[in-house]
Amino acid sequence: MPTSVWPASGVLPWHLRATILLRSLAIQGSWNYETMLGNGVAFAMEPALRRLPGGRGGEAYRAAMARQCRYFNAHPYLATLAVGALLRAELNGDSPERIERFRSALCGPLGSCGDRLVWAAWLPLCALIGLVIWGLGGSPLAAVGSFVVIYNIGHVALRIWALNVGLRDGLRVAGALGAPWLRRGPDWLGRVGAVLAGAILPLATLRAVGPSHVGVAAAVLLVGALAGGLLVRVQGRWEGWRLALPLLLLLVLFSVTV
Amino acid sequence: MHASFVDILPLIMLGGLLGLDVVGFPQAMISRPLVAATLGGALVGGAGAGLLVGALLELFALETLPFGASRYPEWGSASVVAGGMYASQPPDQVGALALAVLLALALAQIGGLSMISLRRLNARWANRRAAALERGSGRAVARLQVAGLTADFVRASIVATGGLVVGTLLIPTVLAEWRGTEELARSGTVAVAIAVAAAAGWKLFHAVQGGRLFFLGGLGAGLTLLLVLL
Amino acid sequence: MAIELYRIDDRLIHGQVVVGWGSPLDIQFLVLVDDDVADSEWEQELYRMGTPPEMAIYFETVDSAAGQLDHYRRDERRGILLTSSIQTMRRLAEAASIPAVNLGGIHHRTGRTERLRYVFLDGEEEEALRSLADRGVIVTAQDVPAARAVPLSELLAAGQEG
Repeated sequence: MPTSVWPASGVLPWHLRATILLRSLAIQGSWNYETMLGNGVAFAMEPALRRLPGGRGGEAYRAAMARQCRYFNAHPYLATLAVGALLRAELNGDSPERIERFRSALCGPLGSCGDRLVWAAWLPLCALIGLVIWGLGGSPLAAVGSFVVIYNIGHVALRIWALNVGLRDGLRVAGALGAPWLRRGPDWLGRVGAVLAGAILPLATLRAVGPSHVGVAAAVLLVGALAGGLLVRVQGRWEGWRLALPLLLLLVLFSVTV
Repeated sequence: MHASFVDILPLIMLGGLLGLDVVGFPQAMISRPLVAATLGGALVGGAGAGLLVGALLELFALETLPFGASRYPEWGSASVVAGGMYASQPPDQVGALALAVLLALALAQIGGLSMISLRRLNARWANRRAAALERGSGRAVARLQVAGLTADFVRASIVATGGLVVGTLLIPTVLAEWRGTEELARSGTVAVAIAVAAAAGWKLFHAVQGGRLFFLGGLGAGLTLLLVLL
Repeated sequence: MAIELYRIDDRLIHGQVVVGWGSPLDIQFLVLVDDDVADSEWEQELYRMGTPPEMAIYFETVDSAAGQLDHYRRDERRGILLTSSIQTMRRLAEAASIPAVNLGGIHHRTGRTERLRYVFLDGEEEEALRSLADRGVIVTAQDVPAARAVPLSELLAAGQEG
């Protein structure tokens, strides 16, 4: 009967957590269409699995590694929550059947929460902040620096929170995903994002066309906004950046032949 | 621009590093065009020029959400190349901005395809180690991870090298033939970028409660701000 | 009709579903059809956490879903019906009429062959898909709205040895 090797203090030593966190930055390092980031999950928790009875290379270690390197997919930042929760379950000596069922049930919800919060809200919001600073005449350092710093404060905080809450709650981690900022966060960020997404259109147009060409900029903004409206009508079907490629190619061909 | 391999080596390294950031390590989003093109420009002494290309490309990138298995452009290495190439043209070079943006869009698409090949290669490497992984070998897991990261860096460096070589050969030739005005080239490029960004912003945020109003309010606020500043 | 999409996806609720399809289609409810999940409180809690607060989620078994399908179709909101396996969707289609099925993601497992980057199938699953098509159900594979919908015939013909 497997017994718990979870430390009596209730937490893993900080240097072990730091190693796991560092390794989790490369969790998608061997991303592929078959196991996706499964191998990365095993890679991130490996240093702590050495605490299992028998140590590194022991029977318990090998069984856990074999389980944890199979297919897994989730948002890369929130996958750290799975790393923490699964590690807690392994060190607690929970049954392999429970761990495996829990592991596969985690993929979708972690993907959903992470994609909504980070890819669809936090990242575009921070990018828009950088763009607005550029649009208002900010220097390269101000525009790029503010984006990188603000974005990564959120990024790193999310990974640390996810690892700690996973380690704390183990198989009962679902409740942590109900945190108000995680549930409502995408909505709050989305409202600020919507304002900036509107504001950036005139700001970017004038900055890129040049402040001495106000008339041209107004025309460009009008044409761009109308074309954007058209794109929204076919939205979902056509990606703008793919349409942009032939359009710009035509523009270049026209410019060298007229 | 005449450049030897030694001149473009820093750009290749930067392209490799920022290409690696997209998926592999550390996903700090320093691969976003806003950052990558500015750094590419800064390497050849023109951070401001790099930022202009980067900001335009960022307007395109707002649209592409990186969702797991679906395909998306690889902006990191492409933006480094575009920022570096544009910043090394003389300022006020007619047509250079449009050409740099076009180069980046094409290269980002090629970079995206190269990531698909890498993912297949990773699967092949994993399959070759299947027995060791099934036995729970910690060494096999670590090696697979390191192999994937190394290959990703090499992949992005190759994309950057290809882009720099093609750009160096093609851009001067095309610019020498350029007969249109800068005004037309620039407005056309910006209009396309604005169209994509407008659609992307709407798509991202229209479903948020009150999102449409916030979006239109922001548009109004931006216009007002400009009127006040001008 | 208020169910916009009948989707087979082994991750059930994730980003491609709630943002990728949810946002452009203005989806307001999800129907998750799975006999195991309908019987498991902790799995339901996880999937509830993965569902945006502005979307409703309903858990059904295949039998209860067949009975409730007309009720969901009369709903004024737009919804997506999800199953995690082809067999589940086939059983549902045998019990109630389904116009079209979207193959959104079936990942790699021993015995399955790669058909698309996000669709791996074994022989039994191919049979189940064919039997769906024989009932007049339009079967296509498409992970996100911007991707091309790949028809079943092309999917089964263009498989790669994986």
